Amino acid sequence: MTTDYEPRIVGFLCRWCSYPGADLAGTSRLTYPPALRIIRVPCSGRVDPLFVLKAFQEGADGVMVLGCHPGDCHYMEGNYHARRRYALMHRLLEYVGIEKERLLVAWVSAAEGRRFAQVTTEFTTQVQELGPWGGMEGRGGEWGREVS
Amino acid sequence: MQVTTREHLTAWLDGLARHLTLIAPKTVEQRVLYRPVADSSEIAFDFARTDLPVKEHFLPPTHVLLSIEKGKEGVRLGEPSPERERVVFGLRPCDARALRVLDALFLKEPADPYYAERREKTTLVGLACREMGEQCFCTSLGLAPDEAGDVDVMLTVMEEGRGGEEGRRYAVQVMTEKGAAILGVLNLEKVEGALPVPAAGSKTPVLEAGAWPRLFDHAYWARLADRCLSCRLCTYVCPTCRCFDVRDYEVPCEGASSGGASNGSAPGGRIERLRAWDSCMAEGYRRIAGGHNPRLTKGDRLRNRLYCKFCYYPQDYGPVACVGCGRCIARCPVNVDVVEVLADVATL
Amino acid sequence: MGEGSELIDKIRAKARELLQGGRVDCFIGYEEGSRGRARPAFIYDPQDAERLIWDERCAHNLVVYLHQFKSPLRRGEEPPRVGILVKPCDSRSLNILFREEQIERERVYVVGVTCDGVRTNGQPQERCRRCAERVPLVYDIVMGGVPNVLGRDDYADVTKLEQMSPRERLAFWTKEFDRCIRCYACRQACPACYCFECVAEQLDPAWMGIAIDLSQKQFFHCMRAYHLAGRCSGCSACEEACPMGIPLSLLNRKVAREVEALFGYKAGQDAETPPPLATFKKEEQLPL
Repeated sequence: MTTDYEPRIVGFLCRWCSYPGADLAGTSRLTYPPALRIIRVPCSGRVDPLFVLKAFQEGADGVMVLGCHPGDCHYMEGNYHARRRYALMHRLLEYVGIEKERLLVAWVSAAEGRRFAQVTTEFTTQVQELGPWGGMEGRGGEWGREVS
Repeated sequence: MQVTTREHLTAWLDGLARHLTLIAPKTVEQRVLYRPVADSSEIAFDFARTDLPVKEHFLPPTHVLLSIEKGKEGVRLGEPSPERERVVFGLRPCDARALRVLDALFLKEPADPYYAERREKTTLVGLACREMGEQCFCTSLGLAPDEAGDVDVMLTVMEEGRGGEEGRRYAVQVMTEKGAAILGVLNLEKVEGALPVPAAGSKTPVLEAGAWPRLFDHAYWARLADRCLSCRLCTYVCPTCRCFDVRDYEVPCEGASSGGASNGSAPGGRIERLRAWDSCMAEGYRRIAGGHNPRLTKGDRLRNRLYCKFCYYPQDYGPVACVGCGRCIARCPVNVDVVEVLADVATL
Repeated sequence: MGEGSELIDKIRAKARELLQGGRVDCFIGYEEGSRGRARPAFIYDPQDAERLIWDERCAHNLVVYLHQFKSPLRRGEEPPRVGILVKPCDSRSLNILFREEQIERERVYVVGVTCDGVRTNGQPQERCRRCAERVPLVYDIVMGGVPNVLGRDDYADVTKLEQMSPRERLAFWTKEFDRCIRCYACRQACPACYCFECVAEQLDPAWMGIAIDLSQKQFFHCMRAYHLAGRCSGCSACEEACPMGIPLSLLNRKVAREVEALFGYKAGQDAETPPPLATFKKEEQLPL
């Protein structure tokens, strides 16, 4: 398994907490690996577990789902639902052969720029060490060539 | 007649597999399927009937019709690469007849080039049935378990064989020039004797095409379809069912095919037009723009499937679109039995 | 199973009574099929109740047919009322549909039968060996004798798979899904799969393509397994229907086991408990 590759990581960040957290990391000039492609959603509760599966199918090597800390969800309950869904999805993914270390679900608030950078760096390193995913043949191509 | 032994057969097949694609019955988990094999050791010689018909190698479950690339020079259309020469070994007469049935549609002008190419580049080596299976009813459709007219070479297992598996003997009938060409170095021995005659099964009456229209509004169809799940598997395991869907998909870069939908093309992107199996038994199959569905109920769809096979297809193209292989009978989860239906229909 | 022909007479009598009294418009049970098989029967006329049978060939989960009786047969009418024969496993599917408000309880007359296991082609089904419920969990009337055998699901086959490395598991499922032809027999046979338009066939958004290739099949089965989380009764209708012999219960039971471990919920035990993925506990700690 090669570890010398550019990992492709998709992050689903919620609009109220984790996305501003990422913004804060940026404006604070904190560095984190550029492997992450962010998709902003209104709430971590919006993240359908099928999005995660689809990301892996389309060539992602790792997926992050970041939301508000439990109790702080802007929509009150979204992240509670996400918490249940992803506790389960982790186990299903592991069972069908996607290592659970490839899916990270974490709570990052809008004030936690540093934590965002740290979480992303650690996760990217972890995915790097696991090697490329590529387990759903027929898809995934050479996504590394950026289309600007 | 000419005979050969299993040992010579395997040597000949190994030779074939070296320079063209050899497709033969292969055990895959608990199923027997026609699959490309690397050599004769992968072949399941003693099988009754494969679980999927050979149609998957002539009408693939999914294939690329063409690709569309938009670059600096404009729009470029790409064709799929040419097929390799192939031999299908171990083809049962019903599956071979099914190819003739499909020919009536797909080779009729204008011919389907993808099907035509595969048909032309494939030599069919048949294996006659010694007896009819429990669900088989080929004889009811004017076919025979040892029908050799639809293949290029026909093999028949002989009763006696010397020395176990390796010595088992096969009668060899060369049916076409294509068949003669493929035989090449196969070791043949001339012997006296006759081909074994397969045991005859019982026949079920099959109403001829013109007699079906008057039964169209009968209440029988809705009652029969009550238990149908619209699961579609009958159409997928059937050797003559052929409906398909065509869609365009964007491929981000070189290499991969199929996947997420988009019908625009990104700069530097490529679009592939895919054809994939579909089924008239699906509820949405015949739904048209605007939402109207002429076959909304299961009864409509089941009736249509049977009419397509026994009435419309023969009226439009000639042959009855059923070869009596019995796969749908074996696999239908709720026992919709076409032989039973044919017997019922004859009395309606 | 049960008391043989005496039980069959009771079932027929009940169906006849329900139809004659107008309590139901249709009774769903089993009848003699062709080639020694049993098959689902739809009785609309009281005298046709004679066709009903009950023996160990009656493996189908009939609850799946309730979905086709949700709409009125003619405009302006009420939806039809249905009588149905259920085994214990089927009764769990019923509870799930009642809980999800797909079927109104009053519209169904449930005739439960105790069960000692069913057979396919004479062979006992694997799922019956694992079954711990031999008496239906919901019924208007229950018939049959005291069941003999009580099984238990030790999840041995699931554990065996869990003990492999992730790459070995991937290789296993790749090998299994490779045979899949996307016929959707599994989905159609499942009482819990009733979406008007399945994710697999939606055009907008287009989750999946039409291609019958490995990645689509992997996606479909993982998606369906996830959508059945907390909703699968373990009836194995999917696995029995699959023409390619794919071990779907190996996938669905893993999810069911995790749902039980994480949320303490087992599908179909009653029609009141909220489904696990529709609720939450604020203070719960879950491994993520």
